Amino acid sequence: MMIRERNHNGVTIVMPVGRLDSSSASQFMSGSPSFSGNGKIVIDLSEVDFIDSTGLGSLVGIARKKREQGGDVRLACLNEKLRKVFEITQAFRLFDIYDDAETAAGRQG
Amino acid sequence: MSASITMNLPSDIRYVRIASNTARSVAELFSGENGGEEGKYEEFRNAFELAVTEAFSNSVRHGNSPDKGRQIFITFSPENEGLTASVADTNPAFNPEIPPPDIFSYPESGYGLLMIRQLMDEIRYSRKDGNNTLTMHKKLKNPHNQ
Repeated sequence: MMIRERNHNGVTIVMPVGRLDSSSASQFMSGSPSFSGNGKIVIDLSEVDFIDSTGLGSLVGIARKKREQGGDVRLACLNEKLRKVFEITQAFRLFDIYDDAETAAGRQG
Repeated sequence: MSASITMNLPSDIRYVRIASNTARSVAELFSGENGGEEGKYEEFRNAFELAVTEAFSNSVRHGNSPDKGRQIFITFSPENEGLTASVADTNPAFNPEIPPPDIFSYPESGYGLLMIRQLMDEIRYSRKDGNNTLTMHKKLKNPHNQ
């Protein structure tokens, strides 16, 4: 899967492109050095058109690892399909979710 | 869509998108023939696609047989004002009633059956002659009359 990265005010914004499913999730999890360490990152999901339970598990795993290391993960730009997955699994309780990535990167806390 | 559609896929995660895309195509065909203009039944199509994807992935993940020729059998049937998908495999039996994972323990897996239960109107599991079959039904409801 293709992963794009950009920086906004010192915060890495990671943007996976395509389907985040059981055939791409492991590639995604190892796809960015920013998934380790104590920095804050934003995962911009605007170019993800489908997510399944394995894709969701990869986001949860990245969040756990980052928070154990003193960092954090925020999510941005979930379409209706993705929001539904976060709703039915209660995973929305684990993440601050924003409508756009730059706001997520800029918000203090 | 008047007849059932069946497909056999290798038990290999590389084939998950074929299962997923076929489920979506079947849901689009079925809902389109039942008055579903563009966008009207999007939630039905999304749910059906995702539930079949999860069932297929579970079958691949829990297959621990050394037999490389193992296959997963998927059937799509229009019935009872909705669509039924059944996903069958020769894996060991499993408990479809496992409790959902505790989200606050940050689980990386275990969401599949929870999602299927939430997305579909009815699910049934059967074990017969060494085969598991997970049958899932989703009614086509008019989103404007709910």
